[in-house]
Amino acid sequence: MRLFSLILFTLLSLNAGGILPIDWSKVNSTQQQKASIPYPKKLIEGIKDVRLPVYLSSSYVYDKSIMIVADKGFYSISFVLNGATLLFEGDRTYQEAVSPKNPEFQKIVQKRRAVEISQSEGIMMAEFNRHGANYAISVECEKPKTDKRCTDEEFIRTLYAKLTMVGGRP
Amino acid sequence: MRVVSSLLFLLILLFASCDKKTKPKAPIDYKGFTYTPAGELSPKKSGTGRKGDNYVYAPNIRFPIESGNAYINSQVYGVGGYLGERGSLCDKRNYAYPWHDNYCEKRGWSMPLCSGGKGHQGVDIRTATCEKKRYYAVAVEDGIITYIGQYTIKLRGLSGRTYRYLHLDSHSIQVQRGQKIKRGTRIGLVSNNMGKTATSIHLHFDMKQTIKVGNRSKSVFVPPYTSLVEAYKRLLRGEP
Repeated sequence: MRLFSLILFTLLSLNAGGILPIDWSKVNSTQQQKASIPYPKKLIEGIKDVRLPVYLSSSYVYDKSIMIVADKGFYSISFVLNGATLLFEGDRTYQEAVSPKNPEFQKIVQKRRAVEISQSEGIMMAEFNRHGANYAISVECEKPKTDKRCTDEEFIRTLYAKLTMVGGRP
Repeated sequence: MRVVSSLLFLLILLFASCDKKTKPKAPIDYKGFTYTPAGELSPKKSGTGRKGDNYVYAPNIRFPIESGNAYINSQVYGVGGYLGERGSLCDKRNYAYPWHDNYCEKRGWSMPLCSGGKGHQGVDIRTATCEKKRYYAVAVEDGIITYIGQYTIKLRGLSGRTYRYLHLDSHSIQVQRGQKIKRGTRIGLVSNNMGKTATSIHLHFDMKQTIKVGNRSKSVFVPPYTSLVEAYKRLLRGEP
């Protein structure tokens, strides 16, 4: 009954989407780092229109297998590794707005941790929110049941720890 | 007399409401296509679904399988599944209506919209027959292919929602990263691809979207079942 009421409340309070605000003053003062070696042209070109901070793990910034799909509101940057695929995503759009009084969703966003690591369908994923936008790093393995990059958290935690802002603008 | 009849009426109401609780609901029939309500997982041991959430999170999407009948039911707890009744994965009971929601089915994965915070992120869909590489998975809305992994393809729709298609045959992929595609465009053939670890023949389909609550937000996998029921009805009407 409680779950039903929560769901009913959720449904009544759903609204259409839009763009999430980014606190650029904080981004510029704390995140942007100057690269000692200029970033590859493919990376600069690929993210030139992106209107949110773009994060990549420093180990992959210069990787030649980089593939970028991006627009103003999101980016998806992937790399082909040996026996795995690595993906960095950022998104500042939202598709539904829920009333802050909604207990179910209020609980979900309040419980949000700095980084949430999960493994599903053999894919290891780290999700986090920074400056108002939502980000994810995921690793998908050719051998999802035995490849440690997809079974242990260590690899993805290292990627997260080495995140560096490589672009994006207001 | 009036008091007695009122009491009788109340008793009937009470009986009817009790009856509703104990009797399982009959599947809903739509021109021969039958389905159980969203959140009613089958078998019961497969977990607790998100009952009562009949909201269509992705209205007007196209059904993700191009043609033929399709069956939404559990891969894990169905016949031949590793926690299901012994038998063949191709058992005809797996290829029959009614549909059963399997979003939130028992898994160890973090899922904030499932009771207990864990569960299946999407639904598993079987094609018309138990044959791999025969039926195409197609785009559910206009959008762009953002990622092609080992066995996952991501489509970002114009709505901003991201759809994941898992287990398509990698040699049959018809799209490329960054390609803008139209609703109904062929993506690849449904198979049992999970890298070098095979799975059963099915399409795992899920939908992720960001939900804003006050000045905070979170990206979550939302329930796809009701959107797929609507989409399948349109497909059956010949209006995909």
